[in-house]
Amino acid sequence: MKGRLLMWVVVLILTASLLPVVPTAVAAPQVPLNFMVWTFAIDTINDNIKTFKQRYPNIDVRLTDYNWGQYPDTIVTNFVSGRNAPDVLYSSDHWLQQWAAAGWIVPLDDHFPQIKEMAKSFSQYAVEGMSYNGKIYGLPYYADPMAFFYNESILKKAGFSLPPSTWEELLTQAKVIKEKGIVKHPIGFGFSQQEPFSIEVFISMVYSRGGDLFDKGGNPVFDRPGSATIKAIEWVRDALKADVLNPESLQWDGVQAGNAMLAGTQVYSISRASALAAYNDPKQSKEAGNFKIALMPGSTHQTVGFVRFYAMSNQVPRRGKEALDAAWNFLNYFGGPGPDNSYPVVRRWALDFGLGFAQLPLFRDTEILRSFGRWVDVPLLQRIGSRYSKVKQGLTPWFAQWDVFTRAELQKAYLGQLTPEQTAKNMAAKWNELRRK
Amino acid sequence: MNTAAITHRAAGVVVGIILLAFLVGPILWLISSSFQLDRELFTVPPHIIPHEPTLDNYRYIITRVAPPTYTGETTGRRASGEALSLLPALKNSFIVSTVVMLVNLIFSTLAAYTYARLRFRGRDLTYGFILTSRLIPAISVAIPLFVLMDRLGLLDTRWALILVYVAFTLPFTMWFLMKYFGFFPPEIEEAALIDGCTRFGTLTRILVPMAAPGLAAAAAFAFMGSYSEFLFGLFLTRTMASKTAPVVLVATAINHDVSFALSFAALVLSIIPPMLFALVFRSYITRGFTGVLAR
Amino acid sequence: MVTELRLGRAAPRPGRPLGLYPYLSILPTLLVVALISVYPLLFALDLSLHRNVLTEPLAHPFVGLRNFAETFSSYYFLRSLLTTVRFTAMIILGTIAYGIGVSLFLNRPGRLAGTARLAILLPWAIPTVMAAIIWRWIFNGNFGVLNALLAWVGVIPEYITWLGNPHLAPLTLVVTHVWKWGPLAAIMCLATLQVIPRDLYEAAYIDGGGGWSTFRYITLPFLRPTILLLLVLETIAGFVTFDLIYVLTGGGPADATTMLAWFAYAEIFRFLNLGKGAALAFVIGALTLGLALIYVRLLSTEELYSS
Repeated sequence: MKGRLLMWVVVLILTASLLPVVPTAVAAPQVPLNFMVWTFAIDTINDNIKTFKQRYPNIDVRLTDYNWGQYPDTIVTNFVSGRNAPDVLYSSDHWLQQWAAAGWIVPLDDHFPQIKEMAKSFSQYAVEGMSYNGKIYGLPYYADPMAFFYNESILKKAGFSLPPSTWEELLTQAKVIKEKGIVKHPIGFGFSQQEPFSIEVFISMVYSRGGDLFDKGGNPVFDRPGSATIKAIEWVRDALKADVLNPESLQWDGVQAGNAMLAGTQVYSISRASALAAYNDPKQSKEAGNFKIALMPGSTHQTVGFVRFYAMSNQVPRRGKEALDAAWNFLNYFGGPGPDNSYPVVRRWALDFGLGFAQLPLFRDTEILRSFGRWVDVPLLQRIGSRYSKVKQGLTPWFAQWDVFTRAELQKAYLGQLTPEQTAKNMAAKWNELRRK
Repeated sequence: MNTAAITHRAAGVVVGIILLAFLVGPILWLISSSFQLDRELFTVPPHIIPHEPTLDNYRYIITRVAPPTYTGETTGRRASGEALSLLPALKNSFIVSTVVMLVNLIFSTLAAYTYARLRFRGRDLTYGFILTSRLIPAISVAIPLFVLMDRLGLLDTRWALILVYVAFTLPFTMWFLMKYFGFFPPEIEEAALIDGCTRFGTLTRILVPMAAPGLAAAAAFAFMGSYSEFLFGLFLTRTMASKTAPVVLVATAINHDVSFALSFAALVLSIIPPMLFALVFRSYITRGFTGVLAR
Repeated sequence: MVTELRLGRAAPRPGRPLGLYPYLSILPTLLVVALISVYPLLFALDLSLHRNVLTEPLAHPFVGLRNFAETFSSYYFLRSLLTTVRFTAMIILGTIAYGIGVSLFLNRPGRLAGTARLAILLPWAIPTVMAAIIWRWIFNGNFGVLNALLAWVGVIPEYITWLGNPHLAPLTLVVTHVWKWGPLAAIMCLATLQVIPRDLYEAAYIDGGGGWSTFRYITLPFLRPTILLLLVLETIAGFVTFDLIYVLTGGGPADATTMLAWFAYAEIFRFLNLGKGAALAFVIGALTLGLALIYVRLLSTEELYSS
């Protein structure tokens, strides 16, 4: 009896394993393009690919998405193994230099001379973030400043009419809110060791105090006594000690920090400016309409501006002119003005998700301005983007590795396992070590 | 009954209930979560019994078509390519595990019988070699294997996984079967040998039928060991051509852009096969351990 | 018990001479094991003796033991070694205590014990990474059921950040490990318990022995071989832990759960230093191998002097 049952179980398992997966047979177009992205709005991307295909039926775009936290690790492995390398892919200014130095992504200037002209229509810091050795490696996917957000209604409830303009003021306000029992942990950040945004949040804290990370020669200056970096670390320590900064922040990525804002259990956060669109969307947020953007607290209010872009891998030139043409059409459609000068994909990201853009003509696009106006103070956002945003210092072929190392060291500092001075020293030592190689 | 006996009984019941809660509680909580949507999952306190139970998570995973509750969702509430690739991943897992199980049975039975019954030059040495290999951790050979498979052109194929899993499950199943065979008296086989049977014949015709429960246990270990494996799956697979269920599930679960509820539904679907396997093979497994450890 | 690991004497053989049969029958196993387990270890050694950074695919100069020296002298290595040792000690204690305790319960008559004997296999059947995903949700600081339960019962005044606290995060790994592997230990101990002759207990009962002394003088000696086996298995498991870290904590917070295997992974995939990662991986292999062989040696001398 048991043997019978056993036999049926085995038969069932074997049969199930022979069931075919449901693929869809498609007539084979001429040029395949492997497109790798991190997971964000995959259905929108698929929709964009569909409209792209209607325009260019001979190009077959195959999408693969990976977790944002593991994205650079996965892409590196793909390139190293060679077997599953992408053709076009998302990249960020964090990793551009590392991937370009390794020869995994190629300069667009070499294959598409028209890019030089097109680059004039991108904002300066975006071009900076996409360039290495004087050559341009991509077209912008989106570009945003890191922005400081606050929940205005909770602020008012605590008796404050204005957002904090310095970090000390932020601490004071947060302590009052906590004492009044309105919210348990008013501040929260995505400081997880796996979160690429975390270094951008931290560097914003340094910039806003008027600090620098490196001098013109690329030498670390953050380990000097009393530096803005050390002050920033001390501030986070104090916030954690006063229990106004949610201790979960150390395991949170940007999405989870955002969820706390949406749920109304958090008052302040720092994230990409476009995150505000989600916070103020009534479909997603209980507190929609209450969130406002403000200048980064600190004496100079400066912040990080980043660019995420579409890059082309070294696989494409190897495949010849056809592949290159397909890649250009793709890059132009997704990151550029497109065949009709309508910026089809960039506009859609801006309208549907509020993603910032580096394409200058769009700054005057009335539809976009109106759409943004629904969730953010547009003039303020534009001011932050144009006057207060700086590219991350230290973008070099070893920045990515230094970034990963620094995330862990900063956490140790926040938890009090290392002094801020010691942390800065470790960070500097690692920088010099990586640089020497 | 005196008070000592009553407290003894009561203590037993309390311990039993706590034990059962600890064993089964997490699984039940997972199942309950898989029938909720994210907006319900993110409530404080959590709902142990869903207030708004829904099948939408399972529907989305199985049909790969977004149900109404998931259309128009945004960051942190959606699906990813991987979340929707659960079924192909399960298929890969099954194929790999089944093949590993079969290959394992054949190789280890052959080897175990030889070690149990026969004397030959190099017996101790080769036995030690095989068993010691089991002590080599996966992380130590993962990168070299990655390079090796790449050179053999087997990267991102099921064969790479099958090869590696067989190598890693063989030492244990071989040891297990060797001990198991060792407790059968050799007289029947010797009688057959005198009658002209080959060693291979005694193995297949006499010992295997007798040792079937032990073989079943060994097969179960090989299957479940392959099904659960993660590290090599992570290193040696790149696309859905070979990705197994653990790899896809982990990518889904730690991806915060994917709805939690969706990942839980995928998880439930993936743990049903090994749990069923364990329950069906339970008596063979326990008998196997008794045979090996306790005599 | 070491007889479990060492080969016993084979049965004397009647019948025809064997010729090549023994060698042919072990050949497939030997080949596969050599190709997949042993050759790569040597290859890892080769990788670790060269400078091998993934972003410089063309420069692989021979650097001798420099990768090893750099890895060992860094305080991060020491820290991850300490974390690993601490974790391993905890899981050894946890799993063996669980195994013995639960097996004693499972050995009883009655429906509760019978149900438990069925349910005991379930956690073990669930793959490690999947168990980790389940527990990750349970330990969630804001919405996890553990916090809710503890708060409801009144044990904690407010929700605890399990995964975000550097002191608690390693404990979450221990709990998940014991939940998943404790059942195996329990089954193994149960199998051993069930062959202890009843009359030993009866004799002890007549002589007036209490619960603790029967356990100490009758049960424990029988269990000892299994416990020693578990000791070896859990030590190896502790040093090799990777799956749990990948899902539950990602090495954090502040590297509190960065153990050896995770450190090797990070060296390769985050710092892109294949040479150092391979050196570390090789060292882990050598360590576990060495530890296991030491155990076997210790246990075999024990066997000689005991009983």
